[in-house]
Amino acid sequence: MNLLDKSRSIKNHDITASDNLESYLKTIKKKNPKINAFLEIKEDEAAQKAEKVDARIKKGEKVGKLAGLTIGIKSNINIEDFIISAASKTLENYVGSYNATVIKRIEAEDGIILGTTNMDEFAAGSSTETSYFGPADNPAAPGRIPGGSSGGSAAVIAAEMCDLSLGSDTGGSIRNPASHCGVMGFKSTYGVVSRQGLLDLAMSLEQIGPFARDAGGIALMLDSIAGYDPMECTTIKEIPNFHEITQNSQDVMKGMKLGVVKEFFDVSDNRIVNIIEESIDKMTDMGAEVVELNFKHLDLCIPTYYLINYVEFFSATRKYDGRKYGYRIEEVCGEEVLRRIHIGSYISQKEYSGKYYKKALQARSLIRREITGLLDGVDALISPTVPKLPHKLGESLNTMDMYAYDVLTVIANLAGIPAGSMKAGEVNGIPVGLQIQGKPLDDAKIMGMMAGLEEIQ
Amino acid sequence: MGGIFIKMKCGLEIHVQLETDSKLFCDCRTNYQDAPANSNICFVCLNQPGAKPYPPNEHAMNGAIKIALMLGCKIAEDETYFLRKHYDYPDLPSGYQRTSIPIGYEGNLNDVSIREVHIEEDPGQYKPDLGVVDFNRSGIPLIEIVTEPDMRSPEEARNFLRELIRVLEYSGSARGEGTMRADVNISLEGGKRAEIKNINSIKGAYKALKYEMVRQKNLIRRGVEIKQETRAFLESQMITVPMRLKEEADDYRYIPDPDLPPMLAEYEQIEVIREKMPEPPHIKTERFIQEYGIQKEYAKVMTSELALADAFEEIVKHVEPSFAAIWMRDELKRVLNYNKMSFDESGIKPADIVELLDLINDKKVTPKAAKKIIEKMPKNDASPLKIAEDMGLIGVSDEESVLKAVNQAIDENPQAVSDYHEGKKGAMNFLIGQVMRLTRGKADPGETSRFLKEALAK
Repeated sequence: MNLLDKSRSIKNHDITASDNLESYLKTIKKKNPKINAFLEIKEDEAAQKAEKVDARIKKGEKVGKLAGLTIGIKSNINIEDFIISAASKTLENYVGSYNATVIKRIEAEDGIILGTTNMDEFAAGSSTETSYFGPADNPAAPGRIPGGSSGGSAAVIAAEMCDLSLGSDTGGSIRNPASHCGVMGFKSTYGVVSRQGLLDLAMSLEQIGPFARDAGGIALMLDSIAGYDPMECTTIKEIPNFHEITQNSQDVMKGMKLGVVKEFFDVSDNRIVNIIEESIDKMTDMGAEVVELNFKHLDLCIPTYYLINYVEFFSATRKYDGRKYGYRIEEVCGEEVLRRIHIGSYISQKEYSGKYYKKALQARSLIRREITGLLDGVDALISPTVPKLPHKLGESLNTMDMYAYDVLTVIANLAGIPAGSMKAGEVNGIPVGLQIQGKPLDDAKIMGMMAGLEEIQ
Repeated sequence: MGGIFIKMKCGLEIHVQLETDSKLFCDCRTNYQDAPANSNICFVCLNQPGAKPYPPNEHAMNGAIKIALMLGCKIAEDETYFLRKHYDYPDLPSGYQRTSIPIGYEGNLNDVSIREVHIEEDPGQYKPDLGVVDFNRSGIPLIEIVTEPDMRSPEEARNFLRELIRVLEYSGSARGEGTMRADVNISLEGGKRAEIKNINSIKGAYKALKYEMVRQKNLIRRGVEIKQETRAFLESQMITVPMRLKEEADDYRYIPDPDLPPMLAEYEQIEVIREKMPEPPHIKTERFIQEYGIQKEYAKVMTSELALADAFEEIVKHVEPSFAAIWMRDELKRVLNYNKMSFDESGIKPADIVELLDLINDKKVTPKAAKKIIEKMPKNDASPLKIAEDMGLIGVSDEESVLKAVNQAIDENPQAVSDYHEGKKGAMNFLIGQVMRLTRGKADPGETSRFLKEALAK
């Protein structure tokens, strides 16, 4: 049953929210010890909320869009009374002291927050292996990484441990694990979803966004959490309309111009390229038209992204000075977090600012101009989400090989454009994700295309 | 000072809190001194994990623009934005302080160039002896005013600071000297620049500069090179000491705050502020000199307080300006200073002053009696006329009784009379005083002087 049907069934009292929760709790008990996707679960609180939702539905009261649906939240988003550790020892004792705007909106729509999910420490990674609480497994390809940094949020969806989940995407941290775990993930236009309450990795790049098993779930969650937040200065007033975008998905591909950037395929594993090309063929069968394009500055994207990420992350972590949250971050964090802090501190020094950070900002403008230029002539860009397959848990990668996972996802963050990932196929049982990127505020259009493609798969 | 004359240059960086109800980036109250420790706080001003600033407080931003305009600054036409200034100290919950790029620049106050005016957030208050931090103050908006090194003596710096505090008071958008924190730069000819921190008052700035001048002159005289350094002012001892190296900021690693998009001050918005802003005191002083023909010293006193300046302009609609100015500067200010209150606090109204001056002009009271009346005017509902009646001061002595007193004074004081004829200056004043005593102050001094001169010429 797809998510929109389930939501209707709960509202019609064909299924109760309590039964829905109960069945997920059983799955969690069975699967989570091995997958390690949920970090903290509040069963009793969730059960009470489910009962209340059921009671209100029984009385015929109006309930919210997310009524009775169970939701996992990445552990870098503040929820009152949950441990919000960002999977770091630094914050192992930090209890969320307020609700992030997205949490308030989920609660206002009667969603049931079940627990927090595993992730790379402070979202600084692409594999969920850097978590202080140990790596998460990939439910779709056991023994392999689920991707990251929101690996836990992708895994809880892939393993059917809840209905929906939230992650955060700074350089692909939603789309990458969505791709590896064979689920859908979406990063909206910068400013569409409030970051108030999201623990910072790189503030100018990141957005909170949903994971779901189908397009209806993504649309329902975005419809609930997107929107201007007067308490968060980078949110924007124009909000794409996500409501009912999955209704008219039959003809959505007709006349669509799909940009296919040669360089995005050149850097990708051939087995992945083949699967994405099959999907593109399906879309042309549905009436879309392919436009071949070139992107000159792909080699700039990773260095630009990481330089900005390091500097902003260095700044964001200054509050973890050991005085308020127990530990000084540098004394307890993992290798990757420490690398980013040290490089961020180094390159933000006055004497180097012109050399690294300013250059990175200039390169960012260049990349933004180039990608929006390419988007000018087409409706969306189609590519693999990740250029390579997820490695096996325990396999050690050098830093640059790890960063290479991100080359096709960071562009959307550098340019602030919307991008979604959905499963296109499998290589030896390992999921392969297809990425659709669009113009700023074309979020709903991309969602519509994802829904259309989903129907013919 | 060793008898050698060395030129000095001094520049100031002055922080004063802006007067707002809520903090710069959240809704918390700003009455941090009245509130119990750590009660005016929220996740935003504590910068808890994930917290983002709310949009900048508009009253604070407009107040800063107003003050910049009053200091004759140009207003930044390009986008302004906030920077993160990183340093590690217990009072700073995020590890960085948000500080704007200049909102105004190239201003001038009393021949001191203003380099720039910008806005910042106040950190919390750390009490090292107790090892606690009170974050009530964290996030309160501050304005920072940076001057060029245009002051040439501690006295000039003191005068500038007094004038600046007066401008801030006029603006109605800033808190007073009580919230002031200043850094002072001083260099003597041939030496490097020293920066002195921890200055919290005008007097402190003056004392720190005095001390530093002597210290540096002594070093120069002994042939010791003055190195560039940061020193701390110890208010209790009125001396400066080198700051520990750790306290010296090495590198703040400034970056634009990604959580706060750039802002553009609208031309119309600036013009609205410009139209509504009070006339700055130094400009008002010049206008008083021009418009009312009063002396500079008088004009300065009249504009020392906005309420007093407004009262003066009201009074001179009815009374000759220089007459009003003399009375307000010499007598009104004397009484206010004695009572340690501002004009505003005294409750004296412009109409009261007009009534008093009319009593003198109409010769209903003598100037001497008027001085006694004015002493009773602060915090008094009774009118000057009523006070005069109650004190029995109504009426100037008739000519006959003054003449009688003149003759009596001459008869009783032969020594003063002969001193007068020898041309000694004090003699006439002494005799006038005697007449005043005999008439119980009701004689008119001018008239008395004329009668005395006539009588003595005989």
